[in-house]
This record gives sequence, C-alpha cells and structure tokens, in this order.
Amino acid sequence: MKESMTGFVEGEIVEEDVEFTLVELCRASGASEAQLTVWVEEGAVEPQGTTPGEWRFSGAALRRVRTARRLAQDLEINAPGIALALDLLDEINALRARSRRASGR
Amino acid sequence: MKYRDYYEVLGLPRTATQDEVRRAYRKLARKYHPDVTQHADGEDRFKELGEAYQVLKDTEKRAAYDRLGHQWQNGQDFQPPPDWDEGFEFSGASNEPGAHADFSEFFEAMFGGARTGRHSRQTERHGPAPDRGAATADDLEDAYRGTQRPIPGQDHHARVAIDLVDAYHGAQRSISLQMPVLDAQGHVILQRRTLNVSIPRGVRDGQHLRLAGQGGAGLGQGPAGDLYLEIAFREDPRFRVDGRDVSLDVPVAPWEAALGAQVTVPTPDGAVELTVPAGSASGRRLRLKGKGIPGKTPGDLYVILTIVLPPADSDSARAAYDAMRQAFRFDPRAHFTGGRP
Repeated sequence: MKESMTGFVEGEIVEEDVEFTLVELCRASGASEAQLTVWVEEGAVEPQGTTPGEWRFSGAALRRVRTARRLAQDLEINAPGIALALDLLDEINALRARSRRASGR
Repeated sequence: MKYRDYYEVLGLPRTATQDEVRRAYRKLARKYHPDVTQHADGEDRFKELGEAYQVLKDTEKRAAYDRLGHQWQNGQDFQPPPDWDEGFEFSGASNEPGAHADFSEFFEAMFGGARTGRHSRQTERHGPAPDRGAATADDLEDAYRGTQRPIPGQDHHARVAIDLVDAYHGAQRSISLQMPVLDAQGHVILQRRTLNVSIPRGVRDGQHLRLAGQGGAGLGQGPAGDLYLEIAFREDPRFRVDGRDVSLDVPVAPWEAALGAQVTVPTPDGAVELTVPAGSASGRRLRLKGKGIPGKTPGDLYVILTIVLPPADSDSARAAYDAMRQAFRFDPRAHFTGGRP
C-alpha cells in the first residue's frame, strides 16, 4: 500500500497497469476457478498463455468476468449463454456509443 | 418500518403457484439485471426483486409472510405481531446484520435472522445476494471457528463518481465504505470507514482503480485483500465523453461560419482560442489533437459547430435578412426539385 504525503491512498488503473493470474482474477472478481476455466474454454474470456498456470488476463478482463459472475449467479446462465450474453452486451455498448456520437453529430 | 408487498413487486396474485413465482422472478430479473438493463432504476428494482424472491420462493418463509394477512399496503407502516413466526423453521435465530445489507428494514426484521437455519442458508448462497455478500461473512465465521490456516482477506469493490475535470487534473476523494469485520464475540458486523483516495489523472469512465491492501482484513497472518474502485463519470452539461475522446457543441453565428472567426471555447482543461475556418457548414467537426482525456495516448477533443440564427425581431434585423435574400438567390432545397426554382 502506497500512501502519498497528504495521507491519500494511491491506486493503479487496472485496465492499464494490471495483469491477473487465474487465482488473482478469481479473487478480484468473486468467480470460482472452475467457473473461470469453463468461460475461458468457451472463449468468453481470452487470456495469454496456454496452460491455466500460465494464463495472464488483461486488466479489462476484470469487468467482463465480474459481469459474467453476476449473470451466472443471478440468472443461472451456463457457460455458452455467458459467452453469448457478453458478446451481445459488447455489441449493444458499441451501438449505444455509435448512436450517441451520431445524435451529437 | 414499512410493509413490503412482495407479491406486488413480482406482479403476482397471492394465489400464484411456486412455478409462477419462479417464472415471474426470472422474467423480471432478466429485464432489470443491472448488467443488462437500460432502466435508470434497474439496480434498485433488481434488489427489490431479489428480496421478494428470497421470501416467496421458500415455502416456509412464504407461509409465514402470508400469515401476516393481505390487508397491508406496500409502504404502509408496519409492526410484526408477537409470535408471528411461531412454528416455522427459521424462527428463533439470532439476528446477524450484514448478510442482507442491501435488503429492506422489513426483510431484515422478519427474515434477517434466518441465516443460521441450515436450509435457508443454503438458499441464500445460491440466491441473488448483493455483490459483497454472505460468502465473506461465512469465510470469516469459518475462520473464527478454529480454522488455523492463514486466509487472505476478501477483495472488495466500490464505486466512486467523479467529474470529467477530475480525469484531466486528478482529484482527491474521501469515500465511505462498509466492510464486514468480526467483533469481540466473533459476530460479523458491518463497519464503516472512510478512505482518502487519490484519483489519478487520465482515468476513464468505467475503469477500475486497485488499492492494494485496502480490502477485507486477512486472518491468521493472511494478507489483507485489495479494494477495487469503479470509476463513473458524472454527466456533464457541456462535454460528452467517448472513451478517451471528448466532444463539445459550439454555437456559432452564420457570419462566423461563413467568413471564419476566432472563438473562445471551453475545454475541461481551461478555455482555448479556436479558429473557425471560413465556409464551415453546421455540424462540422474540428479536432483539437491531444486535448481529450490525458494519458500515455491522450484522447482528442472534438468541437462540433452548430450554426445559430439570430432572431429577426426588429426592423433592422428583418432588413438584414431581406438583404441576404436579395444578395444570394439561394435555394437550400434545390436538390428536391432538380434545380428548378
């Protein structure tokens, strides 16, 4: 933990400065290793590396896996459903951003 | 405390079957799930749904709830009658705060004590518990009941709202957090604490800030967990944000657009002088490179010109418009009629 001179805690921006191992991402997202492994097999999350021990997840995976965990828990969606839901959510977000740009011209 | 009409929340009659309860919950949960919904009040609705479902899906709890009678209105002042839960499995449990921190006072008073009952605890683990949930409390309890191995603290999540300008300059915020901790008797209680946080320059909407060691306390030499802060930008009246890029509508007079002009434009980083090129059409986008959100790859600031007409509300103004008409012989709809006047 870093403390700045003024007593304000400084953090790091996850999406830019952080890479997660399987264990770290599970802790940070609340997903189980079994869940996360199945989502990787389904292609819903794509780490670098070949074996689970070598997997490195980008910081941006945190948001994706947290969404996956909530959807799995709250709506009891299985792995293929999670993969589809995440892709569709990405698409909806891209469309929303595009329509915001268009309406603002 | 206020009565909660769980049937009304799920849009069901009191005669609904367990299957109907499940179907109604699933359907509404898909609609209002915070990760999916477009409704502004989605998160609150989803919590209400989860609370209603916790009670109605469990036949014991539902029977006890039904026994309160149906004369109550949602939101009506309410006190539970003495012995209202007599004879039901979940009665007599001690009331531990924290498990349903986001549920209503009504739920907490009526069903909050249920979690030490074995079967209701099972259902809770699988239910739509709030994000920071029962699992934390369970881990802590298990640890307290004699587990010797060191257990690292839980990672926690919270959200913090900042203004766009904070992303340009960085900011300092005091945020207040609730965390489950063990009291002297080994009970899980929610503790409030305030944390002073530096928001780094260049952070963007939706990103997370990791504060190492600021999460839940570890047990038996285990390290503390981390705290993740999700950054949300407050809506800005002037600037729109799209990833790193920021855009701003700038009104210009017709002569400024036609003849060119120097205008002063606000940016989150202070005002800048901008050259409007002669012959600009309405909607023209001018890019101020690198004036978006700062960072290793800074974003751009887009200025979008909107031509605003001065009102023709005086003789001299009307005369000026009339002079324009005569000077231009301009048909803005020429392409509708193939060029004929």
